Amino acid sequence: MNVRVGVKLSEAIQTFELTRHFNSLVAVNHINLEIGKGELFSLLGPNGAGKTTTIRMLCCLLKPTSGTAQVMGYDIAEEPFKVKELIGVSPQETSISERLNCWENLSLIGEIHRLTSTETKRRSQELLERMGLIERSKDQVRKFSGGMKRRLSLIMALVHDPEVLFLDEPTLGLDPQSRRAIWEYIAQLKGKKTILLTTHYLEEADVLSDRLAIIDEGKIAVLGTPEELKKNLSDKQTMVIKVGNLTAEVMSGLRGRYAEVEQRNDELILSASELDFKEITEYLYSQGITIRSAALKQPTLDDVFIQITGKELRE
Amino acid sequence: MRFWAFGKRNLKEIYRDPLALGFLLGMPIAFIVIFSFAFGGEHASPLNISVVNEDNRSATSEAFVQCLENMENLEVNRISEKSQAEEELSTGKLSTYLVIPEGFAQQAKQEGQPVKLELVFDEADPMTAQRVEPVIRVAAAKFLQISSPLDIKLLGQGVEVKDNYINYMVPGMIVFGLMILVPTGVRIIVTDKEKGFLSRLLTTPARPWDFILGYALALVPVVAVSTMIYLGVGMGMGLSMVGNLGLAFLVFFIIGLCCIGIAMILGALFSSEAQGEPACWFFLLPMAMISGAWWPTEQMPSVLQRIAAAFPFFHAMDASRQVITGGASFTTILPDLYWLIGWTVVLFAIGIILFRRQMAS
Repeated sequence: MNVRVGVKLSEAIQTFELTRHFNSLVAVNHINLEIGKGELFSLLGPNGAGKTTTIRMLCCLLKPTSGTAQVMGYDIAEEPFKVKELIGVSPQETSISERLNCWENLSLIGEIHRLTSTETKRRSQELLERMGLIERSKDQVRKFSGGMKRRLSLIMALVHDPEVLFLDEPTLGLDPQSRRAIWEYIAQLKGKKTILLTTHYLEEADVLSDRLAIIDEGKIAVLGTPEELKKNLSDKQTMVIKVGNLTAEVMSGLRGRYAEVEQRNDELILSASELDFKEITEYLYSQGITIRSAALKQPTLDDVFIQITGKELRE
Repeated sequence: MRFWAFGKRNLKEIYRDPLALGFLLGMPIAFIVIFSFAFGGEHASPLNISVVNEDNRSATSEAFVQCLENMENLEVNRISEKSQAEEELSTGKLSTYLVIPEGFAQQAKQEGQPVKLELVFDEADPMTAQRVEPVIRVAAAKFLQISSPLDIKLLGQGVEVKDNYINYMVPGMIVFGLMILVPTGVRIIVTDKEKGFLSRLLTTPARPWDFILGYALALVPVVAVSTMIYLGVGMGMGLSMVGNLGLAFLVFFIIGLCCIGIAMILGALFSSEAQGEPACWFFLLPMAMISGAWWPTEQMPSVLQRIAAAFPFFHAMDASRQVITGGASFTTILPDLYWLIGWTVVLFAIGIILFRRQMAS
């Protein structure tokens, strides 16, 4: 393997100040990423943040305006065909030959990657069975539902057994059942393949990712494991309690004990650097307050995302 | 071979789309049948043509008039004086007459010497002259192949062309039919672009020539099959093949490849079907008009003739007509073949460059 000097062999994908302009618009702005072999890394961000542009550059579909990247040690600008031999891509559009059936679509990809016919058939059979498409595998793809096309698109990215997998919004527009089926399959690939995933579904990123980055306006805004990002969101804990017969005296007592106390209709919201669930509930009981429900609120990736980008997610 | 895999896929996409295939094959067939019924064959009324022979009634000119009289789709009316023909034209009794000028026999004897004929027509009725002109042209071309004036009478009767209008029209229609490969090829490429299929394939190790050859390969059988169908329909409608069928097929095959090359270029340039198809017709319809698909190019201003001669369609129509109606040999049409092969090579080279540039964008 012709490996560039200085490249870390443990890294599957490395970007070096990767930048792409479209006229005056800076779609990707000096991004530096290191994704380890076997890691599942997610790129999150609002529409137009630069996720797909980053993937298109890493798949050698777009040339960077400046900077570069390496996939398995091969430079995307200098050795694009070496990179293309090692990657599998499931694009945002399903991008399947509509008048071909599953076998014919997979055979095309197999032949382009110079797999033997036997090997292509074996891999196709295995993947079609696993993704629940074997019974419809001889039907022309144009007769498939959106979910079936997405699953076939994923199989087309996998049939040649690539080392690195790029999944651009693999569950976009799918019903919850189809989405779960694809998540389960991606989860099975963890550790076996290096996966770069972009998604709008934060739950998807939370469940699947080893690490993730939130990209906004072409820049990496934050990077880490889902747990790290949620933990770093705030150094305060929040407790939400649904109560009845709350009195001014009790509110005054709580304000003396905790940093932030807020009442929203029948909800009492307490925030402090440390909250003791038992202590709070016992205090309220002792004051004769009826507690209907109480929970310590865990931060979610949604909270992280909105804090970082200040934007709601859009599809 | 990656291009082979890609070509198989493209061919399946073509023949599994019956509507598109029907349009590709159906339109030229409909044109051939409609034009044949309208202007040629048993169903059409014979053309009336008055002939003024000013060549002192030489044996050669007389044989030529007899040749015209023997043609099934012509009714020849001899007029002795040109002044009488002029008067009848001015009073509307005639719309067209043919003058065989003095010196016709002399010119016919000398090989390579241009032989002049005059077709005088009423400017208020140019369509009749347009129908008569190709018939006279084909008859004269057949007649003037005769080198010895002694054989005039015999060979004049031996003209076997049943319907010269069909012989003139069918080669033009076949080339026009093959021109429809351009929007067909463009549609396949831009649809692959629009649906992201080409982007997916561009993330594989396939090279630019794999794409060009893959798209082209799928259209080659379409060229061969459609040419055979058009020729078959043409023959069914009365086309009589004077020259070598294989040579005519070769001409059509090369212009078919040229059309595939144009499709590759336009397919690389446009990114949506809404742009690609109108752009094809914007280019192809004027090309068909000035190249002689529907009327003789000699009627056009010389500047248009020169423009037409710079493009391959003109040469394909010229060469195929020479072979089909004039029995021209391979060496006779070689200049036209040079044009066609040259254009094919250039178009494919440009197509590969554009695909390479697109892959590197």
